[in-house]
Amino acid sequence: MREEFYKTLSSPLWWGVLVVAALLPLVLSSYYLHILTLSLVYVALASSWNIVGGMAGQISLAHSLFIGIGAMLSSALLLKFGVNMWLGMLISAALSGLLGAVIAWIDFRFQLGHLSFVLITLAFAEMGAIVVEGWDFLGGASGLLLPRDTGNFWLFQFGGGPGAFWVMLTLAAACVLVNIAILNAPLGYYLRTIRDNEKAAQAIGVDILKYKIMAMVISAVLASVVGTAYVRYLTFADPYLLISPVITIEIVLFATVGGLGRAYGPALGALLLVPLGEILRGKLGSTLPGLHYFIYGIVVIAVILVTPRGLLSLFERVWWSWRRPAPHQ
Amino acid sequence: MSELYQALAQGLLIGSTYGLLALGMGLVYGVSGVVNFSHGDFISLGMFMCLALYSAFSLDPYVSVLITVPAMTAIGAVVYIFLIRPMVGHQFLMVVQLTLGLSLVLQNGILMIFGGQPARTPSVVESKLLILGDVVLQVPHVIAFGVSFVLAGGLYIMLRSTDFGRSIRAVHQNAHAAALMGINVGRVQVLTFALGIGILALAAALLLPGTPIQPTQGLRYTVITLLVVVLGGMTNFVGIMLGGLIIGIAEAFGTIYLAGVLGLLMPYIIFVAIMLFRPQGLTWKSRQ
Amino acid sequence: MLELENLVAGYGGVAVLRDVSIKLDAGEIVGLLGANNAGKTTLINCLSGMVAPISGRILFEGRDISRLSAQQRVEAGIVQVPEGRLVFPEMSVRENLLLGGINARARTHRPRQMDKVLELFPRLKERLSQHAGTLSGGEQQMLAIGRGLMAEAKLLMLDEPSLGLSPLFVQYIFEIIDKLPAEGLTVLLVEQNLMLTLRHAARCYVLERGQVAVEGAADVVMNDPRTRSAYLGL
Repeated sequence: MREEFYKTLSSPLWWGVLVVAALLPLVLSSYYLHILTLSLVYVALASSWNIVGGMAGQISLAHSLFIGIGAMLSSALLLKFGVNMWLGMLISAALSGLLGAVIAWIDFRFQLGHLSFVLITLAFAEMGAIVVEGWDFLGGASGLLLPRDTGNFWLFQFGGGPGAFWVMLTLAAACVLVNIAILNAPLGYYLRTIRDNEKAAQAIGVDILKYKIMAMVISAVLASVVGTAYVRYLTFADPYLLISPVITIEIVLFATVGGLGRAYGPALGALLLVPLGEILRGKLGSTLPGLHYFIYGIVVIAVILVTPRGLLSLFERVWWSWRRPAPHQ
Repeated sequence: MSELYQALAQGLLIGSTYGLLALGMGLVYGVSGVVNFSHGDFISLGMFMCLALYSAFSLDPYVSVLITVPAMTAIGAVVYIFLIRPMVGHQFLMVVQLTLGLSLVLQNGILMIFGGQPARTPSVVESKLLILGDVVLQVPHVIAFGVSFVLAGGLYIMLRSTDFGRSIRAVHQNAHAAALMGINVGRVQVLTFALGIGILALAAALLLPGTPIQPTQGLRYTVITLLVVVLGGMTNFVGIMLGGLIIGIAEAFGTIYLAGVLGLLMPYIIFVAIMLFRPQGLTWKSRQ
Repeated sequence: MLELENLVAGYGGVAVLRDVSIKLDAGEIVGLLGANNAGKTTLINCLSGMVAPISGRILFEGRDISRLSAQQRVEAGIVQVPEGRLVFPEMSVRENLLLGGINARARTHRPRQMDKVLELFPRLKERLSQHAGTLSGGEQQMLAIGRGLMAEAKLLMLDEPSLGLSPLFVQYIFEIIDKLPAEGLTVLLVEQNLMLTLRHAARCYVLERGQVAVEGAADVVMNDPRTRSAYLGL
């Protein structure tokens, strides 16, 4: 693993940001803390998707399956069999990883084109949603209500507001760190080769199947773990949120607008768009139905037109022109 | 047995319109490399325009097309020039996200104006039926079938025998060489996109009679069109029409034979089955 | 008829052509020579309007055409037969030729022009409905030149017409090129093949690293030691 990863781990800026972030629950109202917690959930989810969608270039819409399994299965195991949610989280993560491996294998074995893969993973996501919504064990269409969060960490409880925030902060930081680690390791190099020219990568002997599976499994496991944490935070396992293809579409939006394939891109996208969506919904949601999404859509279009290469590249350009005002040759 | 014929007939009827929808998307992809994920929402727009024209002037949808098609063609040109052309050459997924933003705008714009309740637009032919033996066909579906096929045929002739059609094919096959012939590639791209949207306006009127509409239906049409386009090999005319019929039949079989939600999955299942074993789709290219 | 004055052009702000000045008189066949990456294709893409000049002027028939779009250049009569032929592979020979004559000026005489081109290239007449992608290299070159002729060019620019062709085809094609001035065309011939060009072009320019290293009549250019060094990078 190259130095950049260790440099980040020991960078005072990185730790400084984390410490400042960790202190936020002390100053923010519960409404804004909730929005920030939600944003961190999506930072984690978008960063997990980035591994397979941004780095490996495989646009998978199956992510809702992993999130959904992490959320619904662990909840069901807790409520129906009394399985501790930590164990439930691990079981769900293992299952998601396995499912991810199968999907990656299908992609490789059948030589799927990119749009084909999108639609086939969408098909799986829809099927998954239908299965969950029709199966009472997993809550059916009405979902599952988790026991009240009393803050007992051994029971996988965070104690509401600040506790949940710190958990999500940790998860988000972890997912971004995984991104950085991969990008600076041979795996990241292989994934990007596969993304940029799969045929050429195969011709020079890159083991396409192995790396596609690795990317998908890591991505799926992360998403599943976050899914379990997310459902605990919400206390209510809503299948129409947690296993619907719509959640994947949102995650892909954040990752793309922020900067696809870059370590901080998805985080940037989520940190901008999630609060925007929540605040718009809060202020305008009850006035005229559809108004808040209408404005949200306009903002998305505007942001993309202004920064077609992603928010991260815009920030970088501003950063460099501030650091070095003289034009460089 | 008559159920089988019913499913087959219904599938073919709707399938030809699905094929038409996909042709629009395929042409745009071939010429600009763009996949418009708000495709279905433009269909919605067309449908709600017809609804508005009915509410205001009691116009039958089949008459409203005279207004909606030119209007939507113009809207398509504007959308392309201001939103999509600046993005040509940028990351494919980024352009897709832009069209998703557009989808939100269209969907919710319609929601704000018309509200979320399903609405019907009456038409003179709405409840008329055509009975062929054991099969009962709704006249609007038969009209949709006929018009879609005629329009598809017209598109085919246009592509084959007119200079505009040849320039479209030239830009698709080699945009650089097309420019060297003196073809205005930018203009071809705008016109093709506008044409695609105009086709959607017509298809919207065809699909409208007898169907309750709501603002959120766009995504469903977008996904169906995507299934057909990818199945058809993205830019293969015959493949796309064939794909439309297959998806239409799959959908009809699904709703008639399979209970509830499982029936909705039928087009997906058929799509996955075909694409897994024939990744190049319904084209006659051999696998690369 | 064509004058390039101090042309500076390139891609992404990096200059490939640095201060190039060239002149062509009507009815000439002029050769543009040089090693790979000397800037030959950039120059004709500049003339075709595909590359915008950074500075300098292009004068065609006395008019400054530097600001004209690619489409307008073709309409004005500047036509390129690109390197690698670039025929439309899934269209027939006939459709390719029709597309060649699609610009407004040529379209009025298209049927007549088509007859002339098919007379010039009888081989194409035999393969009229065949897909261009299935033609041999030499046949594609004939098609590409035929397509260029369909556009009613005043200035025809040929980029490496001999590339990948058998000697027989090369001879055939160049016999046709020799006849073009008689039809009223001016020809700018871009070639890597030194000896071939010097045999058919009256005057030549040799580009080296984006600048004109040698210019003059064919035999003068052939004997100039700088020509050899431009090719061998010495």
